[in-house]
Amino acid sequence: RRGLGAAAGPPSTRQLREAEEAAPVFQYAGKAAKRKDRVFVWGFSYSGALGVPSFVKPDAGWKKPRRIQGTPYRLETEEKISSAACGYGFTLLASNTRDITKVWGTGLNKDSQLGFQRSRRDQTKGYEYVLEPSPIPLPLEKPQQTRVLQVSCGRAHSLVLTDSEGVFTMGNNSYGQCGRKVVEDEIYSGSHLIHQLKEFDSQVVQVVCGQDHSLFRTKKGSVYACGWGADGQTGLGHYNITSVPTKLHGDIAGVNIIQVSSYGDCCLAVSDEGDVFGWGNSEYLQLASVTETTQVNVPRHLPFKIGKVKEAACGGTGNAVLTEEGNVFVWGYGILGKGPNLIETAVPEMIPPSLFGCSDFSPNVRVARVRCGLSQFAALTNRGELFVWGKNLRGCLGTGRMEDQYFPWRVTVPGEVVDVACGVDHMVSLVRSFT
Amino acid sequence: MAAAGRPGLAGLFAVYKPAGVAWGRVRDAVETRLLRELNAAPVRAPRQRVRFLPAPAPGGGGAVELVAARVPVLADHPLVRGPRFKKLKIGAGHRLDVKASGVFVLGVGHGNKLLTDLYNCHLTKVYIVGGLFGKATDDFSDTGNLVEKTTFDHITREKLERILAVIQGTNQKALLMYSNIDMKTQEAYELAVKGLIRPMGKCPPIITAVRCLHFALPEFQLEIHCLHETQQYLRKMVHEMGLELKSSAVCTQVRRIRDGVFTVDDALPRTQWNLQSIQEAIQNCQLKVETELEKTLGHGKSSPLYQLGGDTAEHALAAAEYDRDVMDSRRKEVNCSSLPPFP
Repeated sequence: RRGLGAAAGPPSTRQLREAEEAAPVFQYAGKAAKRKDRVFVWGFSYSGALGVPSFVKPDAGWKKPRRIQGTPYRLETEEKISSAACGYGFTLLASNTRDITKVWGTGLNKDSQLGFQRSRRDQTKGYEYVLEPSPIPLPLEKPQQTRVLQVSCGRAHSLVLTDSEGVFTMGNNSYGQCGRKVVEDEIYSGSHLIHQLKEFDSQVVQVVCGQDHSLFRTKKGSVYACGWGADGQTGLGHYNITSVPTKLHGDIAGVNIIQVSSYGDCCLAVSDEGDVFGWGNSEYLQLASVTETTQVNVPRHLPFKIGKVKEAACGGTGNAVLTEEGNVFVWGYGILGKGPNLIETAVPEMIPPSLFGCSDFSPNVRVARVRCGLSQFAALTNRGELFVWGKNLRGCLGTGRMEDQYFPWRVTVPGEVVDVACGVDHMVSLVRSFT
Repeated sequence: MAAAGRPGLAGLFAVYKPAGVAWGRVRDAVETRLLRELNAAPVRAPRQRVRFLPAPAPGGGGAVELVAARVPVLADHPLVRGPRFKKLKIGAGHRLDVKASGVFVLGVGHGNKLLTDLYNCHLTKVYIVGGLFGKATDDFSDTGNLVEKTTFDHITREKLERILAVIQGTNQKALLMYSNIDMKTQEAYELAVKGLIRPMGKCPPIITAVRCLHFALPEFQLEIHCLHETQQYLRKMVHEMGLELKSSAVCTQVRRIRDGVFTVDDALPRTQWNLQSIQEAIQNCQLKVETELEKTLGHGKSSPLYQLGGDTAEHALAAAEYDRDVMDSRRKEVNCSSLPPFP
């Protein structure tokens, strides 16, 4: 330290070094810091499907109602969400916890697809629009032991899959899609009824909702269906309504199915050997490779020579499959992802891997998951990047622009995307933070 | 400045700029060395002229007679004329700041015209950036004033690579957005598939590729391919990477190993900043530069390559053709005029 007589000057190197060594060290993250799980939503918000009430009803004077959230927006949840599903204007979020509240719903509730949400103003009526993720009361026998594995949403009904108590269905049942007998002139709005389905040949491991039908995949590899069948989407050999889940036969009889997918009126199933089976609506050439008819009511094997298929995803008019090598193949009608010139094809066409970030510099990039909304596609790579393409209905692609996207485009999400659920005009993604 | 346009000394070459020196000084140093060597070259012998100089007469006693003598012309004397070359036109390509080092492209003589064309090609540059975790300074380098010290033992290579993947992803998006192509066209799709989309106009700094070369806490090294960047931007990126990893980082080293077509192998170290090496370097790089410019900007009569009048075979042929045309037309004129007037 200088005395009073010495002149001031710039600090010498020694002083600087000593000051640096004496400076305190801050710790922002310890060695055992875990990555946090987050939920990001984007798309059309006025239905309440995004779960952010201030977009619909601003809670501060300076806020304005936000009709469309164009880029990913963080949704704060109390628990870690393990499964999410987007329906037509509503969202279900489920957690793997043993607590009493396991499923939350937000958005349209005109057919009680989110269960009964008691209104605070009038205790006898329920909410028609739920603006915030609200707990759905499931009639569980052992609520503190059962875990919810997966949720799925259709146009006006939803399915909740548990590990030991079967499948719970709620919402519109005018076509028997909830798996119970159709009641004439039933009023679905404000209904408390949640039906439980347990009669399957083995434990149900995946539930999928089409627009007005439901598909159940069991552990033994068989598929059950119920609901509307006018396009043959129930695959039971007729075009009538089915109100009890019935097993499918056709080309998938005896085949071990490992994944089923549907969102509109067409359905796809993947077997453990990598074969693809399809049934349902074929007006948009989805099944034109095997038949010229526009409706197929029995599962048919689709003889594609694209390699072993790992996962399939069905949209409203277009389909996509993911092969073992990590390539994405698309076919059907609409914006398929290969530029504006490819509008329809009956035979799967591959999307070049360079569009997903695979290049000479990073040759190990592969697509890990593929998902479909009604007219959009989403693909997740093994690096945790989300690519979307298709019709940009009310900002549902999340690119920040309102134009349609004709080839895969990255969505900037502040984290590694683990899963994504696509709806008609909104999307929900489950994300893990980087560090 | 007749011989400054000598054919060997027009073109582009790369020099290795050491760290700690401003780029202007490097350019001046190269110019000084070249001038020194050019001026040291043996000059023509001075002109001689015959002068009648007074000389004492053989007779004697003060009589002077004029004797013819061949003397050199004083006006040609080097001490009268001064050095032959006083200035050389040496232009600099993409600049490097004081703390950075690496490949620095210079153009000499007519080669300066190629510098603007190389700039318009918008080729990527490759840097090796070294960083150090645990410190944050005000100018993002390790010689700045300390702002904060943090722990860094929670950082793993996997976390760093995740951040690098996200940086690449967002910059890829920026690449597509600034290239001013309508995303709805088939042409945009095809370019995106081939990976050839590249902004050909003004755009903010874009990083086309990042890779972690070396990771040993607290140090790490990255290889960055970028466009339109400044070295301070790269240092800021290192700082932001530190923040993203919930720690802090400073940049210790920025070294450019590639600038368009010039790599470290083509760059001349300080010991080789002499006329001979520079001439060889210009020769070696000429073909590479021309192919790159043709590929990106297209070849045409208005292209500067043609106007450079270099000694590539194509230009020689084209020049010969042009000469032949001129000669033909002139011959026609001559023939016409030699005809006898019509009686």
